[in-house]
Amino acid sequence: MANRAVPQRPNGQTPGKICQFKLVLLGESSVGKSSLVLRFVKGQFHEYQESTIGAAFLTQTIHLNDVAVKFEIWDTAGQERYHSLAPMYYRGAQAAIVVYDITNQDTFERAKNWVKELQRQATPGIVIALAGNKLDLNTMRSVQTDESQTYAYENGLLFMETSAKTSANVTEIFKAIAEKLPKNETTNTAGQGRRLVESEGANKSLSSCCK
Amino acid sequence: MELSAIMKDKLNAGDNVVALHEGVLLQGWSPKAHRLLALVERNLSFGLFVFTTSRNPPQAFTDLTINFVVPIDSDFKCDIDSLSAESNSDIYINLSARNFKLFMGMDSGHETNHFFNELSRSMDLYLKNQQTLDFQWLKKYNINDIDLELGLMMNINGDNTSNNIITANMAVAENDISFPTGTQTLSSRESVIQRQMILSEEQYTNAQNFRIYIGTWNVNGQPTLSSLNDWLTCDSEPPDIYAIGFQELDLSKEAFLFNDSPREEEWLQAVTKSLNSKGNYKKVSLVRLVGMMLIVFVKNKHMDHVKNVATDTVGTGIMGKLGNKGGVAVRMDFHNTSLCFVNTHLAAHVEEYERRNQDYQNICSRMVFSNFIPPKTVKDHNQVYWFGDLNYRITEMDAISVKDLVRKNNFKNVLEADQLKQQHRAGNVFKGYKEGSINFLPTYKYDPGTNDWDSSEKNRAPAWCDRILWRGNSIKQLAYRSHPNLLISDHKPVSALFESEVRVVDLTKYRKIHEHIMKKLDKAENEYLPQVMVDNTEIIFHNVKFMEPQLKELTVANTGQVPVQFEFIKKLDDSTYCKEWLRIEPFMSFIDPGEKCDITLEVLIDKKSAYKMISGQDKLYDILVLHLDGGKDIFITVTGNYERSCFGCSLETLCYLKVPIKNIPFGKLMELENNKSNMTSDPYPVPKEVWYLVDHLYRHGLKQEHLFEHSGLRSEFVQIRNWLDNGTPDALPGSVHSVAEALLILLDSTSEPIIPYNLHATCLSAVSYYSQCKQIISQLPERSKNVFLYLCAFLQELLNHVNDNKLDVKTIASVFGEIFIRDPPRSRSDKSGHTRTSMSRKKTNFVYHFLVNDQSDLIINTSF
Repeated sequence: MANRAVPQRPNGQTPGKICQFKLVLLGESSVGKSSLVLRFVKGQFHEYQESTIGAAFLTQTIHLNDVAVKFEIWDTAGQERYHSLAPMYYRGAQAAIVVYDITNQDTFERAKNWVKELQRQATPGIVIALAGNKLDLNTMRSVQTDESQTYAYENGLLFMETSAKTSANVTEIFKAIAEKLPKNETTNTAGQGRRLVESEGANKSLSSCCK
Repeated sequence: MELSAIMKDKLNAGDNVVALHEGVLLQGWSPKAHRLLALVERNLSFGLFVFTTSRNPPQAFTDLTINFVVPIDSDFKCDIDSLSAESNSDIYINLSARNFKLFMGMDSGHETNHFFNELSRSMDLYLKNQQTLDFQWLKKYNINDIDLELGLMMNINGDNTSNNIITANMAVAENDISFPTGTQTLSSRESVIQRQMILSEEQYTNAQNFRIYIGTWNVNGQPTLSSLNDWLTCDSEPPDIYAIGFQELDLSKEAFLFNDSPREEEWLQAVTKSLNSKGNYKKVSLVRLVGMMLIVFVKNKHMDHVKNVATDTVGTGIMGKLGNKGGVAVRMDFHNTSLCFVNTHLAAHVEEYERRNQDYQNICSRMVFSNFIPPKTVKDHNQVYWFGDLNYRITEMDAISVKDLVRKNNFKNVLEADQLKQQHRAGNVFKGYKEGSINFLPTYKYDPGTNDWDSSEKNRAPAWCDRILWRGNSIKQLAYRSHPNLLISDHKPVSALFESEVRVVDLTKYRKIHEHIMKKLDKAENEYLPQVMVDNTEIIFHNVKFMEPQLKELTVANTGQVPVQFEFIKKLDDSTYCKEWLRIEPFMSFIDPGEKCDITLEVLIDKKSAYKMISGQDKLYDILVLHLDGGKDIFITVTGNYERSCFGCSLETLCYLKVPIKNIPFGKLMELENNKSNMTSDPYPVPKEVWYLVDHLYRHGLKQEHLFEHSGLRSEFVQIRNWLDNGTPDALPGSVHSVAEALLILLDSTSEPIIPYNLHATCLSAVSYYSQCKQIISQLPERSKNVFLYLCAFLQELLNHVNDNKLDVKTIASVFGEIFIRDPPRSRSDKSGHTRTSMSRKKTNFVYHFLVNDQSDLIINTSF
């Protein structure tokens, strides 16, 4: 019969604890949402990343001190015509990254609209991060860091300028989100590939999900 | 049918299902892989069968596929682990045999216990009967190699377990997605991580030596001594753990009957005081059954690493139950190693060694730590320390010789006659246990208060009744001795000091390994997500025409490594997954890796959707969400242009159209439909299209048999539609039947019927009175009233030729009743058949009035 004990959690700590969260990426098309995810999850970058037509799904776990935070990432299509489908993905999400392209002011304005929509319609308490992507194109910048920083501060958003190409701040932004997410409850709301459609997710206040 | 009966159908005659149970394969973590395990017997030999099921629960034996058959023989092993001591946690089972390894999760519970009891029984039976068993019958179950590859096989010799698991996952997944997923909620990811952590234990734990002191003393019911230092503090270095066992702590009736003893506290105090003063100790547990007591202490600083402490007691005394004999035990996890301390008092009397053996067996089987799932027994521990008054004596040697030999320290010869040594050697007791060499005087029987052998007339041979044995790896005994200076009892206390290797978690390494495993899992999980290629995400339908279906194909290819279940899903607030004018076939299906699925999209603008296209309420545009179960979504955009047609236009609009509809811009049409147009010219009294069709029928169809009863041809309808919409100079094409049907379709495609929906109910309640019916007609919008009366006049004319056309007024009234008094959308389906029949009769009656009565009075007020 079994003669190995279940691993002990030393000093009463539980480094084995896994918290699972649903995270959605939103933003204008071609700002680099898929690239950020690809960099974060697979450490890859494709100069000519295909346009996302739909909502891609990947998972990745981040380790904080004693908890593992598992993100179920929904990377949505940025094209305007798919806008009306976005709620399918941000409903029930505990975190969102709203991405814009620092070389394109329009995408920043679009990002602000996404933030507004999330604040109005997403799960209350959703952790929103604003990502100014394409930091590698700093010389062509048209959105100033100060401007975004101020906007993020005023709206209670996490903010980082990132580059999926150089990987600058990519893991960092996910980590910052992981740290900000509450990890004290015991229920698990996100499930792999499962979405919260109907009003089920929309009315639920943000609950974290440590198992 | 009972599952066991279904299974019996699947098996060869004479093979019996002994037990069966369902579990979830844990080699994979993405799709849940259910398997049915069955223990099958034939002539006392057993086999374990693994089944997949194509239906859950299986209804017939054809739903079962045998994946694997393993003989339960010497190669078969079964390990059970639970994730935690919590009672409702899942358990996992590690089954292995030659070239076969299966790791499964099961819910905990009675059925699981039953299955594994039967399984261990079959393993025991094999050991008993192995010479005579024949497993040939298992070979009749032809399991081909393909099945073997379906995830049940793992290379046992593989050194990198994680890789193995990933390989297995792929294979498992291949076969699994088509199974209905059960209701089991085994958190497979957590289980896999836990399991992986256990498998990699060596990598994040260090072996560290700890000193464990074991003491045992039969105190013969004597009150406690003030100091036990001679016994418990005989080593200068304080041990890390003390496990101290007593027997005959209290011989009083109260202790025996009520298991209540003041001695417990007295001895606890005495022991606590006498622990090595160089160490600070904390009591982990105390357990007592009548006179048997066991106390475990660990150094304060180790307390954080003591987990899952549990105790149990077993009485084997009077009637095999009572606590005058038996054992008490404490188990705990110390760092990453499980320890069990068992203090026993076995059956007395010189000749009763077989009863002592029996007591040992009973304690082994009945000592159960039941707060674990599955419950743990003594043997389920990394290290076991078993001690106590085991009561084995010296036989085959008389008392005088024994005393003589031991006085000369010639223990070896005496020990040859020791029952425990003999029975142990013979394999009758303490299998797998070790005992250190005995270099101390027998511990029994003395005259209390002295070091003199028992002087009673029985004159028994002194014996080593009090012993300490152990089981487990990397345990080194440093000392094994008795303590003759403690005189109060007729036994002398015994103690042993061990240096035992314990796996201690290195937190940094633990985290690293844990992270590593999680990364691998993430990678595998992402790799084994369903992946497909869709050949086209923009489906364009060009020039869609009324009542002419158009088809487009979409190919979904499974480019991933796992089977894919796809489904078109509803968007957030929609009630269907696509618009009403679109049909998707199939809208859900499975695709195996490397396979493709062709999906047909059919657009058909019919009378239900045409008016919406004309009025702009809807357009040929939809975004479909193709969802892969457990994976991503793909958006498929369906667009197209609809060729405007008079079908679907309101009668009002048509009356304003003096040229073929083809020549009217879409925008203009929309304005007309939404009453936003300022048409200056006078409208026609009835739409020209209605007039063309009726006029054609008037000229060519009055004598046609079964007009309006026979359906037309689809191809002719298309020609008629084109003729009406395009306005060609040729004669109206098609047979009169097709023209008649076109007329009906034209009237049936408007957004509002001739009797508007808001008059529907009024109309049906008025059917008994012609005057009321006329009243309703006079209230109709002008164009509707015109069309109604115009058609009734034509139908009356038609009915003047019944001799030729064999028409019947009721039938005609019934056909036009459904058209004129169309049911409001979505009202039909919720009516019962009876209500519908009665409604149809009323509609018929309504129209009937106007076919048999003269309507000149109504017509007078109408301007044709």
